[in-house]
Amino acid sequence: MFVNFFYTLRESGVPVSPTSFLRLQKALGGGLVTSLNDFYTAARTILVKSERYFDIYDRVFAHHFHGAELPDFRGVDLDTAARELLDEWLKNPDALAEALGISREKLQTMSPEELIKYFMDRLKEQNEAHHGGSRWIGTGGTSPVGHSGFHPGGMRVGGRSMGKSAIKVALDRRYKDYSMEGPLTEAQMGEALKRLRKMVPVGPKDRVNVEDTIRATTKNAGEIEIVFERSLRDRLKVILMIDNGGWSMDPYVDVVQTLFNYARSQFKDVKTFYYHNTIYDFVWEDPPRRYKPQKVEDLASRDPETRLIIVGDASMAPYELMATDGSIHIEERSGLPSIDRLHLLTKLFHRSVWLNPTPSRLWPMTRTIGIVANIFQMFELTLEGLDNAVTFLMRRN
Amino acid sequence: MHDQSNESVFSGASKYVLDEELAKIVNISIALEMPLLLKGEPGTGKTMLAHAIAESLKMPLLILNVKSSLKLIDALYQYDTLTRLNDSRFGDSKRDVSNIEEYIRMGKIGQSFVTDTKVVLLIDEIDKADTDFQDDMLDVLDQMEFDIMEIDKTTKARNRPVIIITSNAKKDLSDPFLGRCTFHHIAFPEPDMMRQIVRVHFQDLDKDLMDVCIKVFYKLREFQGIEKKPATRELLNWVRALMQDPDFRSKDLMLGKIPFLGILFKKSSDYQHAVQQSRRLRG
Repeated sequence: MFVNFFYTLRESGVPVSPTSFLRLQKALGGGLVTSLNDFYTAARTILVKSERYFDIYDRVFAHHFHGAELPDFRGVDLDTAARELLDEWLKNPDALAEALGISREKLQTMSPEELIKYFMDRLKEQNEAHHGGSRWIGTGGTSPVGHSGFHPGGMRVGGRSMGKSAIKVALDRRYKDYSMEGPLTEAQMGEALKRLRKMVPVGPKDRVNVEDTIRATTKNAGEIEIVFERSLRDRLKVILMIDNGGWSMDPYVDVVQTLFNYARSQFKDVKTFYYHNTIYDFVWEDPPRRYKPQKVEDLASRDPETRLIIVGDASMAPYELMATDGSIHIEERSGLPSIDRLHLLTKLFHRSVWLNPTPSRLWPMTRTIGIVANIFQMFELTLEGLDNAVTFLMRRN
Repeated sequence: MHDQSNESVFSGASKYVLDEELAKIVNISIALEMPLLLKGEPGTGKTMLAHAIAESLKMPLLILNVKSSLKLIDALYQYDTLTRLNDSRFGDSKRDVSNIEEYIRMGKIGQSFVTDTKVVLLIDEIDKADTDFQDDMLDVLDQMEFDIMEIDKTTKARNRPVIIITSNAKKDLSDPFLGRCTFHHIAFPEPDMMRQIVRVHFQDLDKDLMDVCIKVFYKLREFQGIEKKPATRELLNWVRALMQDPDFRSKDLMLGKIPFLGILFKKSSDYQHAVQQSRRLRG
């Protein structure tokens, strides 16, 4: 059931897993869902795992079930409901024809009584569909009913009123605020980054070191001597610098976002800066590169053990890298060419890598990539490249 | 929900205002025997929900407060080596030193497995722990059993607890984790909902005062540059304070004179912002 709905969700970018879909079937089979409202809630809670996708879900739901309401035959006067609907529908014969899956010509030949009978027959099919069929009014026709013109509020076929109709709720798009950034999650990227850690003993001495305790106790002629130690914690510091300026990085926004997302959740201590094309006097803490500038020299005060990861395509006009006044921004022309800044960074942080989203086979085509790759160890921003970069960052000396 | 007995259907509690959608979600999660992951900004009642469920289903509530240093094993059980060492040295306790089982103490998850009755287990602020903890924990909750290595025994859950997990974080939890939970995001209550919430706590609150309070409260939440916005808890405390104050007149609020701002804004910088901006509310 609802296989199409499942695939529409997937195609719309909601990461729904087949397991969760099977779970939804279980919920449906268990008699938990008795109305479309229930279905809306159940499907969302089981299939959608982040509020970021709630808005997409609402839209897909509204699109998919627009004009359809799971009927509840218990104790409802269907005849009245059908008649009311029919009145409403007759204002728009095209939509009616489409919803019932018959041609407009045929519709015009039918009397209201015939229409109601036809409609009721379809409803009964629908009731069975609840337990395994596949035909739905509204979606029974192949083309989904458009967003405008046709019953903006959605319609109810019977069913006791339980507050708002699900479609109405879905059309409300209550969750649109959360759908802003939606990078695709690639668990493998997280796995690759997971190896980037440094375990150091921190905190209170609250762990018993059994080996040492035994040793100390025997030395003490059996008088118990307990040895405590600190527990190991990941204390790796990471600085991430991202090129977010100019059109040349645009195609790679997705993959960089994913990297950024994982970096944020993976590392306790990660600092992100932004720059445009290459690094001059400043990098910025805010993505628009306006409010929070950070002098590159001041990074010297940071722990030299910090791992520096620069992300950028390193593609620019050679003078931007080499000339003393290469920066587009006039206030940044302190006289030092960018290439000196890059050298400075490698001196400050001796474990640093440059991740380049352009495919490595294209690197020889751009001169500046070659120059930057001479300064920084450069890796391709792919899973494999990331893996190698992590290995490089974690090497001993 | 026709095949469920009434006692295991959740429908709200005495001090918790529940929206219908959330009730459905809770019931679905209970029926599917899946942990329910709740997200939402602080003050939307994530933790309170677990209390309400426990109250409504008349089950005991066990709370596991997650800390960043928490290890999964601590949540399951602890082998109290030190007491055992001490007992073996001095021998003045009634415990049998050669029986390790007497030195195994159950953690919160362990307790929820071995109790005789079905319990509600609240795992609060899961995002504080690292990813490994989260994944491993879900394995245990999925299997409903864990091994106690020291005595080579498997502890199986006698009753599957109702599990509620809360998270404050904006960032996502790992995919395997999410795959095993049902999910809901609690949005900040709308004014109407908030009115009901306040009503539940203060039955004898004057209607005019309520209207004014709610109106001002939502205005205060829109102030610029506030780091920690006042939430439900702050509103309730604030209303309580206003009711206690004999000098307070609800007209004052409309004039932009807002007493007890300190109850609503708890960071000193927020407080300063609020004082400045509240002057502009006048009129």
